[in-house]
Amino acid sequence: MTRNQHTASRLRYWPRLLFLIPFGAMMWVPSYNRTEPELSGIPFFYWYQLGWILLGAAIVLTVHLIETRITRSTEPPGKGLKPEDVPGDIL
Amino acid sequence: MTFDLTAASIFVALFLFVTWIGFIAARWRKADLNLLHEWGLGGRRFGTVVTWFLLGGDLYTAYTFIAVPALVFGKGAMGFFAVPYTILIYPILYLVFPRLWKIAHERGHVTAADFVRDRFGSRMLALAFALTGIVATMPYIALQLVGMEVVIGALGFPAGGFVGHIPLIIAFVILAAFTYTSGLRAPALIAIVKDVLIFVTVFAAVVIIPAKLGGYSAIFASVPPEKLTLVPPEGDSLGSYSAYATLALGSAVALFLYPHAMTGILASSSGNVIRRNAALLAAYSFILGLIALLGYMAIAAGVDRDPAYAAGFAQYGSNFAVPALFLASFPSWFVGIAFAAIAIGALVPAAIMSIACANLFTRNLYKEFISPDCSDADEARMAKIVSLVVKIGAVVFILAIPQAYAIQLQLLGGIWIIQLLPPLLLGLYTRGFNALALLLGWAAGTAIGTYMAATQGFTSSVYPLEIFGVTVPGYAALYSVVINFLVVIALSPLLDLMARPGAPSAAR
Repeated sequence: MTRNQHTASRLRYWPRLLFLIPFGAMMWVPSYNRTEPELSGIPFFYWYQLGWILLGAAIVLTVHLIETRITRSTEPPGKGLKPEDVPGDIL
Repeated sequence: MTFDLTAASIFVALFLFVTWIGFIAARWRKADLNLLHEWGLGGRRFGTVVTWFLLGGDLYTAYTFIAVPALVFGKGAMGFFAVPYTILIYPILYLVFPRLWKIAHERGHVTAADFVRDRFGSRMLALAFALTGIVATMPYIALQLVGMEVVIGALGFPAGGFVGHIPLIIAFVILAAFTYTSGLRAPALIAIVKDVLIFVTVFAAVVIIPAKLGGYSAIFASVPPEKLTLVPPEGDSLGSYSAYATLALGSAVALFLYPHAMTGILASSSGNVIRRNAALLAAYSFILGLIALLGYMAIAAGVDRDPAYAAGFAQYGSNFAVPALFLASFPSWFVGIAFAAIAIGALVPAAIMSIACANLFTRNLYKEFISPDCSDADEARMAKIVSLVVKIGAVVFILAIPQAYAIQLQLLGGIWIIQLLPPLLLGLYTRGFNALALLLGWAAGTAIGTYMAATQGFTSSVYPLEIFGVTVPGYAALYSVVINFLVVIALSPLLDLMARPGAPSAAR
């Protein structure tokens, strides 16, 4: 593998930098340790963290989709389905 | 607590139903169950959906459903750290475990100890992995029994004395029998039933109970204001902020190092199954977040002041908050369903945990040190027997030893299990670390983490670390694993140099 190819293969993991966001948000406790604003009676501390569960999942999904697309576009055509893409993977 | 016939009948009926499922699971995706990877890993053929149910049942246990709201009920906002914890586990799952799955699949590893044995060529490191895994998991299995015991008690079965333990013993005999015959297939199939019951229960709880109590505003208004948020730190201390953040981060890192989590991951059919589940498992996190709020609903409903539940709180402490809330809010028939959901929720992880311990014992103790040339069938038979021994051990544990010890040991278990992180993480990318250095790092981390917990009288795992005059209370597991890493990084080149003068570690 030439140096350029090596750098390129490392670069395709860039979407994983997005994972810094949920870590940063959750570790920064003072940013959410309050009760206002409330959301239909639920204090901020609670609905904010519950909301982050959904955001966190969306980030993981986004990273997975981008990485899948990068893998498909960089792989030589004609390689076809990999064994791990068969329907048995779903159930 | 009065005996509730309707609830108890539905509870027993559902329990018998999953027992039947547990036994027929042996014929599901039929294969030779006399092979360890078939019995103990379901043949590594679970796709996205089954893995979702299996890991969901594995990680969000009955004890979680009882203990997390109990913590919120008792301690308020601090108990909510379970939510950021479940948010952080999924990026970690995505980053680390597809690669581990790939290596384990290619090399036929059944346990994490197999993996380090192969990567670093050290039987002793593998032994440390196996022992840590078994010791950390045993109290965890015992705590599943606590979850089950609380709901059996709440149904009004006679509690106390030997007679009081009979329902629990029966439940565990059933569990032991179907795990023995069906292996990992049983909890995978039962997890589906368990989840349907849990989802129905939780959605009913978060809709019906707030409606009865006057909405979420009324619920939060009845909680003492000082419980609603963390106490802001004062002076030269980061106080509850660093404690909250490190508990969430440390618990998230520790989770997938537990043998039962590893078993669930290695049983999946591909790396993509793991990646997809890293996004999809968040549905359970959301359920857990809602369950945590049940602790406040219990405060609002005033169940702890109700004389009808005084006996339950006296016996089970705040762990009785959720069962009492259900008894107070639901009709009998639905109490039966809800309690069955919790009890079956204990069976699934208990089965997977005992299988994981059995895999570790058989692969990394029995085959490694006692009977190196045993046949494949011998290996699988040994694992099945050990899974029985582990469950008997857990029952004895919970019946003979005060429950407080099980909780303290589980707390220590988190500190011990996280020490497996450096060999596992480093092993994914390089073989270039010295096995002895990894072993010494493990020993140092384990010793210091245990010492930190000991200074807190084994009642809290939050250690007030002093850094440059600032007190940073934080999770002892996280502090001790940092020391573990530092020892490994410092000693590895040194020990390599001593072993083979002039040979740099990367050359191996």
